[in-house]
Amino acid sequence: MMPRACRWALPLSAAFLALILLGALLQWGWRHRQLDRLMRADPDRILADPALARIALPLGRSLFAIHCAGCHGPEGEADRVKGVPDLRDGDYLYGVGRVSEIEGIVLHGIRGGDDKGWNLAAMPAYGTPHPYRSEPIKPLRPGEIRDVVQYLLAGQGRAADAGAARRGRALYVGKGGCYDCHGQDRYGDSAIGAPNLSDRITLYGDGSAAALYRSIAMGRAGVSPAFAHVLSPVEARAVAVYAGSLNAFNRKKAAR
Amino acid sequence: MTDDAPWSFDKPSGRRSLILCALGALAGLGIAGFGLFTAHGTRTSHVPAEDVALVNQTPLLMSDYISQLRALYDVPLSEATAEQKKKVLDDMIREELYVQRGVELGMQSDTTEVRNALVGAVEAQASADAAMAQPSEPELRRWFEARQANYALEGRMTLRDYILPPGGSGEAAAAALRAKGATPATLARFGLRSSGKVDDDEEFYFAARIHLGDRLFAVAKGLDDGAVSPPVPQADGTHILVMQVNHRPIPQAYEDVRPKVLTDYTAEQAKRLLAGNDRFLRKRADILIAKGFE
Repeated sequence: MMPRACRWALPLSAAFLALILLGALLQWGWRHRQLDRLMRADPDRILADPALARIALPLGRSLFAIHCAGCHGPEGEADRVKGVPDLRDGDYLYGVGRVSEIEGIVLHGIRGGDDKGWNLAAMPAYGTPHPYRSEPIKPLRPGEIRDVVQYLLAGQGRAADAGAARRGRALYVGKGGCYDCHGQDRYGDSAIGAPNLSDRITLYGDGSAAALYRSIAMGRAGVSPAFAHVLSPVEARAVAVYAGSLNAFNRKKAAR
Repeated sequence: MTDDAPWSFDKPSGRRSLILCALGALAGLGIAGFGLFTAHGTRTSHVPAEDVALVNQTPLLMSDYISQLRALYDVPLSEATAEQKKKVLDDMIREELYVQRGVELGMQSDTTEVRNALVGAVEAQASADAAMAQPSEPELRRWFEARQANYALEGRMTLRDYILPPGGSGEAAAAALRAKGATPATLARFGLRSSGKVDDDEEFYFAARIHLGDRLFAVAKGLDDGAVSPPVPQADGTHILVMQVNHRPIPQAYEDVRPKVLTDYTAEQAKRLLAGNDRFLRKRADILIAKGFE
């Protein structure tokens, strides 16, 4: 014969366990529903929707810390040594900073070996025998590279040799073919990741003549890995929302 | 044993046992059913939230759909019209159906472009995996230090290349050039004429090598500023090089070339992964080679 207290222990424990299971199931279902809402939403509107942003941002922040902060830092700060862009300044190399564009980069990367990634162009290495792998481009002479550097410095309103800058402009729109990616106006082309050369925002180095010379002579081809096989679609979206939220312009837009 | 009081827990009950068994079986069936209908690779009538459609159970990704809308109409998802959405979705479904039909028809065996694309995609996967595995900073720095010469800024030189007329004294001409420089009088006295190969300004080493040829370049790169080479006999005559300025390759600091170092490191890792992939595929494949072609 069981004592009276023990008689109720088993059914109470079972009921308690069932309640916990039911709670977990409800929580799981609710969470699943929230994430489904996130995936069905227009990614470019998520930051403007507080309910959706509340779902995406904490998840995105934690995933960003695991997968992205190694290069981008926990707050998306620039690293001019690694060629890591500032995710907070609103100056985007690829696209214009829409969450949907960032999501594409998270999933498919930049020159990260994914065919859907941003792989269209790279900066040729004009100081090498074969500056560009996919197109026949002629190298420049050292003096010509220095002239192009002077042209770029002059265009940014910095001290430059006027004669060299004139020659540099002729090379920019002529033999060098720089205009083809960076535009006649030097404003760049975010569709192929060609940076704006008219401002003083730099991705590599300190923007000095030596750093510019190095970029032109040795070329650039930064890489962002493709996370399509690492993150689930909803995780990729959450990371994109978080990365987009780091940009002050997006934050203001969301606040409106 | 009695079945009269099945919920009296201090007494065994056959009916209670049966009920609990049935409940357990139902729960098991429920879990199995849930697993069956939500697991990847099984038939489901529910389109997952991350997909816009399933075509023969192959998902069409929402992110691709949104990218297509942007590419075709430059609109975000929320502003696209029903017609625009339908057009994009129809195009994506059509593409998927044709891809599936292509596989059914064995296009991967017949069409060169498909085969090339498949090979390229598998190779690219190795690059993607390599790009994902970021090395630690000390590891990358060690890799750079072992190959520092590859990251030097290309050397530059400004020089003149003179050819001596047949029968001229190379040693005397070189001595005069050393003593008096390449003045018009010295050039005229020995009948020296420019080869025309390196007359136009400063050149990178690689360009000078192409213009001068390997032998003359080997001599040139050893010359200091203002130095004159000994006579170098060549097929077209005896050459004497006068070096004006020789900037030897400048080693670069790790910090200045780190992105390129990472790119090269990743490329090497991808090559290794690919070689491993080749070995694995060959190992598991059943390859029969005709006699005489082994």
